[in-house]
Amino acid sequence: MSKHMIVKASRRKFLQYGSLTLGASVIAACSGGTSSSSGGSDEAADLGENPIKVGVMYSTTGTIAIVEKSLQDATFLAIEQINSGTGPWEANGEGIAGRKIQKVVVNPNSDWDLYNQMSKRLIEEDQVVCVLGCYTSASRKSVLPVFEEKNSLLYYPVYYEGNECSSNVFYTGAAPNQQITDSIPYAYENFGPKGFFIGSDYIYPKESNRIAKAELEQAGGQVVGDEYAALGTTEFITIINKIKAAKPDFVLSNLVGDSIPAFYRQYKDAGITADDIPIMAYPTTEEEIQAMGPEFAAGHYTSFNYFQSVDTPENKAFVEQFKEMFGGDRVTNGVMEAAYLQTFFMAQAMKDALEAGEELNTETIRAATRGQEFSAPQGRVKIDPDNYHTYLYSRIGRWKEDGQADIVFSTDAAVKPIPWSQVLYKGRTCVHPSPDDRSDPIKETGKDLETQYLES
Amino acid sequence: MLDFSLTSMLSSLFLLAEEAAPAAEGISWIALLNQALNGIGIVGILLLTGLGLAITFGVMRIINLAHGEFIMLGAYVTFVMQDFFKMDLLMTIPFAFIGTALIGAIVELTIIRRLYGRPLETLLATWGLSIVLQGVVKLIFTAELKYVRAPSYLSGNLSFLTNEAGTSPIAISYYRLFIIAVALALLALTMFLFYGTSWGRQIRAVTQNREMAKCLGVNTKLIDMGTFAYGCGLAGVAGAVISALKTVAPPMGQDYLVDAWMVVVTGGVDKLIGILAGSFLIGESNAIIAFMLNDPLARVIVLAAVIVLIRYRPEGLFTVQKRA
Repeated sequence: MSKHMIVKASRRKFLQYGSLTLGASVIAACSGGTSSSSGGSDEAADLGENPIKVGVMYSTTGTIAIVEKSLQDATFLAIEQINSGTGPWEANGEGIAGRKIQKVVVNPNSDWDLYNQMSKRLIEEDQVVCVLGCYTSASRKSVLPVFEEKNSLLYYPVYYEGNECSSNVFYTGAAPNQQITDSIPYAYENFGPKGFFIGSDYIYPKESNRIAKAELEQAGGQVVGDEYAALGTTEFITIINKIKAAKPDFVLSNLVGDSIPAFYRQYKDAGITADDIPIMAYPTTEEEIQAMGPEFAAGHYTSFNYFQSVDTPENKAFVEQFKEMFGGDRVTNGVMEAAYLQTFFMAQAMKDALEAGEELNTETIRAATRGQEFSAPQGRVKIDPDNYHTYLYSRIGRWKEDGQADIVFSTDAAVKPIPWSQVLYKGRTCVHPSPDDRSDPIKETGKDLETQYLES
Repeated sequence: MLDFSLTSMLSSLFLLAEEAAPAAEGISWIALLNQALNGIGIVGILLLTGLGLAITFGVMRIINLAHGEFIMLGAYVTFVMQDFFKMDLLMTIPFAFIGTALIGAIVELTIIRRLYGRPLETLLATWGLSIVLQGVVKLIFTAELKYVRAPSYLSGNLSFLTNEAGTSPIAISYYRLFIIAVALALLALTMFLFYGTSWGRQIRAVTQNREMAKCLGVNTKLIDMGTFAYGCGLAGVAGAVISALKTVAPPMGQDYLVDAWMVVVTGGVDKLIGILAGSFLIGESNAIIAFMLNDPLARVIVLAAVIVLIRYRPEGLFTVQKRA
């Protein structure tokens, strides 16, 4: 009898405490995220009349949060500057032609399916005019059908593997010809012909390495190893031993996220120096180097459009303003800069459309974004009016002991983007008609496309 | 998936066969030997991360899905100690132990204590706890990766067989040796505590027959709390030691959770020495298979092998004869 009572009592207790734990965990999983839309009523009061609703979709929880949180920070800085008429927006006054941006923030929790659902919600329920967001190619592929079906607009700030040209996406990160095409010949000439390619096991690293392999073989080199590790892996001794056995002249790394610090640390720990076998990487930026400790990256290379050490007045201001808003120990990197500059592309396009007396919708913003130019921290950049990718600088940085890059290669002006690797798909390019009727934009020219630069 | 793994297996086998022909036989053997030696480094990490779980699950039978988060907490304690007090990594280890053990004790007092004998509810509660701990750490430290400095006197490699070019094809880093040493020392200490002290005897008495132990005057509640806190403390030490070699971030614990479970389940939960065997088997086979094929495939094969093993030896490799 009494035993029965005890069981009963403790069951009730379990329900109490158990539901408490579970409830707390649900709150933790969703906090700040799924429902922090429109930023509360006090902020709405500051936004004046008729604000412009813009979706901001980055994960602030889950495995990719490490990167996407800083993209969100950079986006918030840009929106703040636009709304208050400071920074690069100083000449335009507060807001966009008097209207401020109301950001609708969602957190897809690093879950590819949630990106899809949340983009639907942003477009249908919150009725945003466009969305800034996504980081991994997997998440972009997940939302692409939504933006195409609903005919809405996504500004995507990340270097990616190319092979895409949607009427509903503006790509403000590097296309293959703005990152791979310069870095592979550089590695071939400066390090040697034998490359060992590694990456995380998903679409971007595999596709990027496939393009790099074709580039290296065209230059006369060869790939002596090709290894992939599951996303989030932090044990690299096997891959490092394979690198030691293969004796390459350089390593090309497309590892992403928390794998990066672990790999560089174990690489040095295993006794391989940057003089023996230098690493050329794409996703390794100032942020990851701060996390691993700069001494582990010193002497290795990264190819990117932007480094914190780029010497322009715009960059000096950007770094200063970012640190002021988020803390002096923070660093800026290439993806953050892209997230920052694309917000201004969007704002400029909206301003042009509003000043021409047009309503803000997908058609008018799209038409106005084509050909926008902006003096970004990396230099003067422009949205290509034909393929919706962005003219960007191509740079290679050699990491120093202080965690900043010594820029060893830079184009003189921004390079015209080509969404398809010309080694793999010779002559394939993309031209959206004007006005964009969303017909198939792919054009096979069959010719070698010459590298073109943005004229100043 | 199957198709993918099959083709990649075939292609890597093909590559292996192709490479074996022109390369001199001796070189690949030396590389393999080097890999086997470095596999010991993986064994050390597995042993270290599995040890805490061997206490909380193996001894106390608590299905602890928050084990990885205690490893993460240990790493963050080390980060805080280094960042604020400029401590050497070795100096932070006691703090990591005490800090996580304290949190472990609080968790036992508030959650686990009320769920003894109900494995399913424990599983749910610890799973929730792991999400809460990750969330709290993210709120305090943000989601950014954190930097923990390795002591400079542990850099460098112990090398064998230096060739004429001055490079050594067989080498293992001092830091990995250090991890192995810490893991073995903790294992020895734990075995001494459990089999050589009266506290250990009480723990074993409580696990074997709680009611009888209570009758004989053992303070079972205190024993439970102490044991759970000790297991969490060990996880914290693991976090502190590996933080300099790997990445410190809120979700880092998830990575070690699965491995720790595999080790404990393979080795058998009744004897502490079982986890030495479990981590050795899993670590070395993982290293060798990954070297022959590739990392993701090695993981699949080893996991499948563990499942087959559990099918035929559900109690793991090392079991104690029990009365039915």
